[in-house]
Order: sequence, then C-alpha cells, then structure tokens
Amino acid sequence: MPEVDFTVEVCGMAGDGTIAAGGLINEAMSLGGFSVLGFDSYPAEIRGFGRCVTNSRIGSNDIVALGEKTHALISLNDEQSRSRAPFLAEHSLVFFDSNPPAYVSEDNSLLSVLPPGEEVFGMPFGELAVGASGSSRGRNLTALGGFAAVTGTDPNLFRKVIRDKFKSKGEKVVNINVKSFDAGYQYALEKFSDRLKSVFPKIETGHDPQKVTLSGNQAIGMAAIDAGLKLYFGYPITPATPIMEYLAKYLPEHGGRVVQMEDEISSIGAVLGSFYAGARSMTATSGPGFALMTELITHGVMAEIPAVILDAQRGGPATGLPTKTEQSDLHAAVFGGPGDSARIVIAPTNVEECYHFVIRSFQLAEKYQTPVIVLTDFFLDNRVENRPFIRASEGQAASWNVFPDDAFKDRYQRYADTPSGISPRALPGMQGFNFTATGLEHTEKGSPDYSSENHAKMSEKRHRKIRYALKDLEKPAEFFVSDNLDVGVIGWGSTFGSVLEAVEKSRKNGFKVGALKITSLFPYHSETIKAFMAKSRRVLVPELNYEGQLANLIAHLDSKPVERLNFVTGAPIPPSAIQNRIEELLEVVA
Amino acid sequence: MSVKRFVIIGNGPAANHAAEALREKSSESKITMFSKDPFRSYRAHLLPDFIAGLIEEEDLYNRPYAHYNEMDITLRLGQRVVNVDFSKRNVILDHKEVVPFDGLIIATGGKPRIPELFQLFGDIMMTLKTPSDARLWIQKLSYVDSVLIIGGDLTSLSLTKALLKLGKRVKFILNEDAFWPVPLNEEIYRAVTGRLEQRGIEIVHCRRIRRITQLEENLLEVETDSELIEVGALGAFFGLVPDVGFLARTGLDIDRGVLVNEFLKTRFSNVYAAGDCAQVYHPVLRDYWISIGHENAIALGRIAASNLAGSHLEVQVEPENILEVGGVKVNTSWWTEF
Ligand SMILES: Cc1cc2nc3c(=O)[nH]c(=O)nc-3n(C[C@H](O)[C@H](O)[C@H](O)COP(=O)(O)OP(=O)(O)OC[C@H]3O[C@@H](n4cnc5c(N)ncnc54)[C@H](O)[C@@H]3O)c2cc1C
Repeated sequence: MPEVDFTVEVCGMAGDGTIAAGGLINEAMSLGGFSVLGFDSYPAEIRGFGRCVTNSRIGSNDIVALGEKTHALISLNDEQSRSRAPFLAEHSLVFFDSNPPAYVSEDNSLLSVLPPGEEVFGMPFGELAVGASGSSRGRNLTALGGFAAVTGTDPNLFRKVIRDKFKSKGEKVVNINVKSFDAGYQYALEKFSDRLKSVFPKIETGHDPQKVTLSGNQAIGMAAIDAGLKLYFGYPITPATPIMEYLAKYLPEHGGRVVQMEDEISSIGAVLGSFYAGARSMTATSGPGFALMTELITHGVMAEIPAVILDAQRGGPATGLPTKTEQSDLHAAVFGGPGDSARIVIAPTNVEECYHFVIRSFQLAEKYQTPVIVLTDFFLDNRVENRPFIRASEGQAASWNVFPDDAFKDRYQRYADTPSGISPRALPGMQGFNFTATGLEHTEKGSPDYSSENHAKMSEKRHRKIRYALKDLEKPAEFFVSDNLDVGVIGWGSTFGSVLEAVEKSRKNGFKVGALKITSLFPYHSETIKAFMAKSRRVLVPELNYEGQLANLIAHLDSKPVERLNFVTGAPIPPSAIQNRIEELLEVVA
Repeated sequence: MSVKRFVIIGNGPAANHAAEALREKSSESKITMFSKDPFRSYRAHLLPDFIAGLIEEEDLYNRPYAHYNEMDITLRLGQRVVNVDFSKRNVILDHKEVVPFDGLIIATGGKPRIPELFQLFGDIMMTLKTPSDARLWIQKLSYVDSVLIIGGDLTSLSLTKALLKLGKRVKFILNEDAFWPVPLNEEIYRAVTGRLEQRGIEIVHCRRIRRITQLEENLLEVETDSELIEVGALGAFFGLVPDVGFLARTGLDIDRGVLVNEFLKTRFSNVYAAGDCAQVYHPVLRDYWISIGHENAIALGRIAASNLAGSHLEVQVEPENILEVGGVKVNTSWWTEF
C-alpha cells in the first residue's frame, strides 16, 4: 500500500458544522485504520460567531505532529477560508459551495486567492442537503460526501460514524444525515468522474479496536474520573474549560461534583481543602489563572497538602493569546511563587500521556503531599489522536496515600523528618492522630517555629522529599540514541511530536541524530539528561517560548552551549523548522 | 491613475498569448484569466498522440504554473464564466462570484459540434477537445477494439491514426455536413476515402443513420440505411462551434461566434474577442469569417490584447485563405493533417 500522509482542513463559521465535520473525518479515518492527529482552532475574538478551522493529518504510519501543508480544504464559508489558502500544498483539492445564497465579490471569494495548481470542486452543498433532507443544515455532510468521493474513501466509514454520532437523536435524524452525506457523495462521483483520486486506499487490517479517538482535554477528564476524582473546582478559562465541561457532564455519574468557583484562588483553596480531607480533587486553568494560584500552591508546599493543578498553557504573558499555543509557563510552574517552594511538575507529550499523567499526578500528590502541576498547552489539549489506548485499572489508579502506622498513635508528628522526607499523613477523622496544616514554618509536630535551625532543617526535609520523588517520576525516553550523535534534540510537551518527526526525517537523510523526551520537568533526571547531552556533539532544544525555558533549566548539565530553537508564533513548531535547524547544525558539525 | 483590471475568458492559445501580450504592454495592470477546464494550457493537436500512448499526459501541457507567477497573471482554472454584465462591467462566475473588469478579452474557443440530428445520442457519442476527453478515450479503448467515427473533421483523421496505431478496427462514416474546417466536395471526398481505405479503414457509404442501440456497456449496434454495424465505441467529429452560448443574453452581437470588427473589438468599449470563438469582419469580403486553428488563435489573441492596450492593429487575412464551409466563412491554417 502506498504511504499516506494527507492533511485536510475544514473551515467555516461557527454554526456551519465545521467542528462536527472535522470530527467525523477524524472518526471515519480512524475507523478506516489510519492514524489521525486532529487539531481545531478558532480565534480568541469569538463574538457570537467566528471562524472555525479543523485540521486533520491522516497517515498510514503513526502521526505525531501536525501537517505543515494542507492537501484538501473543505470550505463551508469561502470568506473565512481565504485565510487558509497560504497553507495549501501544491495541487491540493479544494471543495467549496458552488451555489452560495448570494453573489460574492471577488474580494470575498476563496477561489480568487487560490494558486492556479489547486484543483477546485464546486458543489451546491446547501442545495444537495435540501434535496436530501429538506434542510440545508446538512451541508457540511454533503461536503464530506464530496470529499469522500473525490479522495476515494470508502463511504461506509463515513456512514458508520455519522450513524454513531447521531444515534442518540433517533433513527430519523440518523437517516437525514446519512442521506445528506450520500447526496454529496453521489453528486461528486458523477460530476467529477474524470477527476476522482484514490488518496485513501482500503487498509486491509482495518480499524484497531484499541485505537480511541480522543482529544487531550477529553483524556484528561477521563483520567480524572478513572482516578476516582471526587471534586473538581474551577473557573472557566481557555483552553482549560473543556475539561470542566467534560467533567460537569460525566463526573456526577461517577459520584463526583464539579463546582464553579468565583475565581482561581478559591479553586486552588478548595482543592487543597478537599485533599486535606482526603478526597481526590483537582483544578485546571491557564497562565493567568495559574498566576493567581501561586500563593496557595506554596501554601500546599509548606503545609504539605496534595493538590493536582493542570495548567493548560496559552500564549502569554498576562491574558496573552487565549486561543494560541505556547510552552511559556514552565518557569512559572517550576519556580513560580515565594519562598523555596519546590513542587512536582510533569508534562505529557501526547493524548495518551495526558491520560496516564493525570492519573499519576493524583498518586504523586498523595504520596509526596505536595501540589503536582501538570503542564499541557492549547495544542495538546485541543488535539485529537487515535492511538491505541488502554484505560487504567482500579489498581493502577489506586491511592498512594502514606498513612501513619497505628503504632504512632499519640506520639504522631505530622511533619516527621523521615529519610525520604515523606511524613505519613493522617486524614482528619482518623482516631488517635492530630491534624494540622499550617503555612507558617513549623516543627515536625506542626507547631510554629521560626528558629533558624528549624527552618534550615524543614527546608531540607521538604526538598529531600521532592528529590526523592524522582524515583516515581518517568525517566526521559531516548529515541535513536547511540554513543555518539551529531545532534541530540531534547523536547518536551506538545512539541515533542514535531521533534520526533524531524529527527526521523533527518535520520532518513542519513544523519546521526537522536531525541530525548523529558516529561518530568521538576524534579528532573539530571543524570540521564546529562548522559544524553554528553553523547551529542550538538544539543538542540526546540520549544514554544521566547526565553528557552527548558534550555535554561538544563543548560548547566553540560559544558557545551545548548542550541535553542524558540517559536512564539502561537502555532505548533513545524517539524521542518526543527529538521532545518538540525541540518544547519550538522553543517557546522561536519 | 488606478491600476487597470483586465479579465480574459479562456486559457487556450488565444487567451494565453493575449495575456502575455497584455503583460508586455502594461506592466502594472492586474490580469486574470478564467478557464472552465480544470487543466493547464495544452496543445490540442497532440491529444491523438497521447491517446496512442506516444507521449505522456504531461507532454500535452505547455505552460507551467510558475509561468503565470512570473508573469504576474492570475490563472483561475476550473471556473466557468456564466454571464457578463457589460453595464456594470463585471463577469459572473458559475459559483456566483462577481469579478469587475476595465477591459475584457473573450477567448472561449470552440466546442465539439453535434448536429441536431445526432443530439439525442449525445451521451454515447465521444468527442475530442480536451485532455479529459482524451482520458475518456484511453479508458474506453482499454475495453473495446472497434470504433465507428461519424463525421470526419480534421481532428478525426488524426484520432484515426492513433486508433490504428493501437491496433483498433476503425469504420468511418464520412458526413458531408461535417467535413470541417474545409468544404467537402466530391474531389476531397474521394481523396480522403481513398487514403483511409488504403490504411485499412472501412468506409461506410450511407446517407443516414436510422438508429443506435446500446447492446452492452461496450457494444453498440448502429443501423444505417445501407448496413448494420456492431462497434465498441462511437466518435462524433463534426468540427467545433464557437463556445459562446453563455453570452447570448448579454447584448453582445452574436451570430455563430462573437461578432467583432477587423480590430477584434465588440460593440462594447474595451471588450474584444479572439481565437475560435470570434467571428471577424473582413472589410474586403464585407462579411464575417471564423478563425480555426492554433496559429490563428495566437495571432488574434495578440492583436486583441495590443488593441486593448491602446494599439490599432488590424487582422490581416488574404481573402483567398478564407473558405466557405456549409455557408460559413472559415479561415484555416496550420493544420498538420491536411
Ligand atoms: C484534437 C484537436 C486537434 C487539433 N489539431 C490542430 C492542428 O493540427 N492545427 C491547428 O491549427 N489547430 C488544431 N486544432 C484546433 C486548435 O486547437 C484550436 O483552433 C485552438 O485551440 C483555438 O484556440 P482558442 O484559444 O481560440 O480556444 P481554445 O483552445 O478552444 O480555448 C478555449 C478556452 O476557453 C475556455 N472557456 C470556454 N468557455 C468558457 C467559459 N464560459 N468560462 C471560462 N472559460 C471558458 C476553455 O476552458 C478553454 O480554456 C485542433 C483541435 C483539436 C481539438
């Protein structure tokens, strides 16, 4: 089978069914056995109606990054789709409504900005939908029908996912929607009979039932439920809001509650409160909300109370770029806040990791009695992947609370200085123990004590505990590592997919390049990172921030300078940008 | 002065040479070309060679996309003009887009002509004008080994060569109504049929076709007044007619093609027509003639563009080059076949 690597975008206005159409493409292609990575984007200025774009990269091999050029554009609104023209690959397929409700001036037309090599497929989307179902609402589905016909996609894949999507609304709605799809499919088969392609051949193995199509935010919500989350406290903020929405819908079915708080300060306060009482709880926010939480995060550090805080990064600082992606809260997550307030910071790099890391974050928080910050970003939260996905068993999500032994009853010290720094924690209500949670510096017993010896000792204890946590934190993963690499690329978070693709491509070009994925950002496995840097003649750290925040964190581990590739365009780093930089460095190395 | 906005309808030789000449003469203007066909500019006379497998499809095309970028010409393929509003000076596209113009060149060429008698059978009659027609022929020929050609215009003669090369059996009904673009007289009929028969082509001498029956997807039965013929495919070759139907209600003067004066100007200011779609006035003949052929199209395209850009060039055709075909005056040149 020829290798497939195809990117399709759907663009329209809110209300056009753009996101639904993109979702159906992801589902249908996944069902067809392809690997899919989807990403929806929309501008921040949503005033009632705004532009929506879905981007789906579909491949016969694993897809780990977004496509850089679009091979098919389905335009549900030409005026909006004009903005997508610069991203079209040569000879791409452009589907558009050939019979819009009104005449369009050249300045608003999509076709007027297309380069000549693009193949245009005009279809009366609305008319076909009306003919099929009596309403033009299904025009996004007739468009999908056209797309399926022209690209040679098995229409049954679409019919099945359309049925699944609408089945809760009853047979009539299902039929109307399938009919709309079929109307577009038939029309395109006939109208474009001499221009039909076979972009998506049938994959014999078909769909891998373990592959689930999920967004980062859905995986996070699902993980929280599987981890037995009892309480979610939050204040809406892009791009974290979908987590709250997901939980609001599903958490009550599992005996939990979602509480919308008045702000982020109260959200983190409530999270600390419930964890103090022994209930798993979490909050999710983005940069501006995270900033508000800092004081109480350090309270969690000092009082040694677990907390799970998900920071879905957006472009910053301040309100910044609400619907754009960036990895610029790393410093804030690791260092933000007054005092020596070391805490645990982890960052998943894909949807599957979003799930597993969130489950692990509850356990780490419980065991190490400290806030755990999970760093994601818009590109990870909002992306959809269809990787094999196995949900955690109850055992895998079990509590990691370290409770005091009954033998310590009556002589219990809440902040006992143990070799690991972990002080067994009694929950309020446990008989024979005393309960304290203080933000003041305190003794092992928990009484305020500002003496220099005590502060030195307790600071050491708290940091020892965080260092000790390393043994439960995932080690950096190596890809294509050998004893001497010409370039070693270190990546984290949503950017790692682009790193991997770039490294694979450079290797295909015959270069000795390897990658290191860091998911534990604090504390981090300095020995592994150091060893990787030592093996690499050049070290490159691409990240979505201006300051090179990961590079700053690890630069001291090796004597040679770390090369930085910093992107602050609000969009994911294209793999080609990393590959180009690798190959530039190789010329220097050679 | 604001930038002039020129629109050219077409992407054949007339349109392309017009665009290039316009660009030479006005570096600042905005030039947009529209073609209803989704493919690049191609050499029509090579289509039979493509069908015969002598050349690749890519060899048909003679201008890369980059050429238009370099010339700063906007080429919009697969987009059909359906109307022109000469009072508002807009062209209107099939998908309801409205594009304004200061100057317009109509170079829409011709389309295969199917005489009224045969229009009923339009569906099963194959023609040859574009690369996509050629692809259909290639597809069809992979299933059938015999073809009946009705008509007998010059394109059919080069297609016949291709069919023979592919080892297909060819039958021919030479139709006097169709011998385009030269008049079919007794002498030519004999010369042509003689030559065809020499090559192993069976000439069906008949006056009319009674009926056509589709026996199977790739099997047709054609009953003429003289015999019953079974063939795999049917080709209709009755020449080309100017493709100007969409202009019928715009107020332009139209007879067979768009009527223009010897400077290729229509009755509207800054609106010209060139190539196979134009019917050009000849001051000596005091009549209109239709141009047929690649070189004619190029020459007319350049003249139209020059005049739109301010020149005053006249089309020079010797009256003896203009032939009478079925009551229409036609100028042919550069036919490789005849
Ligand atoms: C098979 C074949 C063989 C030939 N061999 C020879 C030969 O050997 N020698 C010779 O001299 N001539 C030959 N010709 C004829 C020659 O190709 C034509 O005379 C020549 O192409 C005419 O050029 P043109 O620019 O006027 O029109 P065309 O080449 O017909 O181009 C017309 C253009 O207008 C576009 N168009 C039409 N209507 C619209 C619309 N409404 N909106 C947008 N676009 C529109 C079409 O898409 C096309 O791009 C042959 C033709 C064929 C088909």
